[in-house]
Amino acid sequence: MASEHIVKAYDEELRRLSNTITEMGGLAESQLAAAIDAVVKRDSELAAIVVEGDAKVDQLQRDLDNLAIRLLALRQPMARDLREIFAALKIGSDLERMCDYAANVAKRSIALNQTPPVRPVYALPRMAHLAQLLVKDVIDAYVARDADKAYSVWTRDAELDEMYSSLFRELLTYMMEDPRNIGACTHLLFMAKNIERIGDHATNIAEDLYYLVHGTPLTEARPKGDQSSLEIITPARSPE
Amino acid sequence: MSSTQAAARLAMPLVPSDPDVRDPTEPMPGQKALIRNVDFFYDSFQALKNINLPLHDKRVTAFIGPSGCGKSTLLRILNRIYELYPGQRATGEVLIDGENILAPGLDLNLLRAKIGMVFQKPTPFPMSIYDNIAFGIRLYERLPHSELDDRVESALRRAALWDEVKDKLRQSGLSLSGGQQQRLCIARAVAVQPEILLLDEPASALDPLSTQRIEELIAELKADYCIAIVTHNMQQAARSSDYTAFMYIGELIEFDETERIFTHPKQKHTEDYITGRFG
Repeated sequence: MASEHIVKAYDEELRRLSNTITEMGGLAESQLAAAIDAVVKRDSELAAIVVEGDAKVDQLQRDLDNLAIRLLALRQPMARDLREIFAALKIGSDLERMCDYAANVAKRSIALNQTPPVRPVYALPRMAHLAQLLVKDVIDAYVARDADKAYSVWTRDAELDEMYSSLFRELLTYMMEDPRNIGACTHLLFMAKNIERIGDHATNIAEDLYYLVHGTPLTEARPKGDQSSLEIITPARSPE
Repeated sequence: MSSTQAAARLAMPLVPSDPDVRDPTEPMPGQKALIRNVDFFYDSFQALKNINLPLHDKRVTAFIGPSGCGKSTLLRILNRIYELYPGQRATGEVLIDGENILAPGLDLNLLRAKIGMVFQKPTPFPMSIYDNIAFGIRLYERLPHSELDDRVESALRRAALWDEVKDKLRQSGLSLSGGQQQRLCIARAVAVQPEILLLDEPASALDPLSTQRIEELIAELKADYCIAIVTHNMQQAARSSDYTAFMYIGELIEFDETERIFTHPKQKHTEDYITGRFG
């Protein structure tokens, strides 16, 4: 952060804001990691812990909002300080949403554990690993107020999109091959989508951070790798 | 100047000086005043160093900066009020509608009729509310009674004071509250139909409600005048002005659109000042 304010309490409040974001970022990473662990190990108890853990992130977001409102009302921030608070509010809601997605993955894994395992489940950890890396890198970038690092996260999300697209097609194939897979594969499809969305929120954070540092928005079009929304689904052949 | 540059200038007459785009010392459409290479001295002490800056017509320009940075001094140059004090002198040019008002031989009374000034502390004359306004008009014009009445009423209305004083015009101006006295001074300044209004911390001695009335008044008056305001209140500068100049130890550090100065200024020094950091 820039040099210190004449009023020391102002610095202290801005530091608290920033630390809350870092804490939420850490939780987003660990919630996602635990959710995927629960999927891989078919561990419903761990999944339940992840679902319950979401409340903590919600509380942190409420604290963050209160602190930001207080800063806006009492300090009347300008320039960089204003952007710090504006960015914190936006990043906080992105992180809260990421944790919602992680909890949703965990919740669906409990349902998935009721059915026999299907093969495409093994693609999920790879996706989750990349999403986790994006979250970690964007939070590291936030801590260092490093806009270049944020920009790199912003471009790397396309890779996650591509992984999602290919998993989408794989799951479709499974469902077409055997309708008994449809239940499990539908859950997996949503779980993959949740992870893909976590990547999108990481790019939002990257954009907010870019604005925080430079004072101008990142206006170029973001590279996108997910083509699944354009996919036309037709069964190859009706069953005999 | 190339034709492309000329076209760029005409296309954005109100955009502030950007060294990459244009020469800030050249007059442009929409500018009421242009301060050019101005230095100012209190005897041998140089209080302003090579100031270059436009004041746009029908816009508010705010001057901010720590105490002693020269912002009030700069305002005092615009109507040459400093000449009342021995040992104070300005060099350079201040062009108002193209005419250099620092040139010798200029009629100072006419200049000051063109440029009204309001100070930090309300300064009503020890006379009636009516005469506070009529006094200045009588200095410059001989008007029939009924016309003078109209001018007094119109000035008080412009300063949003008419409704509060219309039934006590013969009472002393000193009987009004601080906020009312300040609006009386603004009415007195606009009564002589100036072209530029200089406001030197016009609300710093007022309570928040009176301050808001003054700010609302500034917003209304800018439809007709070029306004320059010196303020220590940064929120007030941000709310009331279209352009902001940040000054520090006699130098103009940054001049730009107010929105830019308060969201992302170009100079670190400006940023440190407006965010309350050690510079």
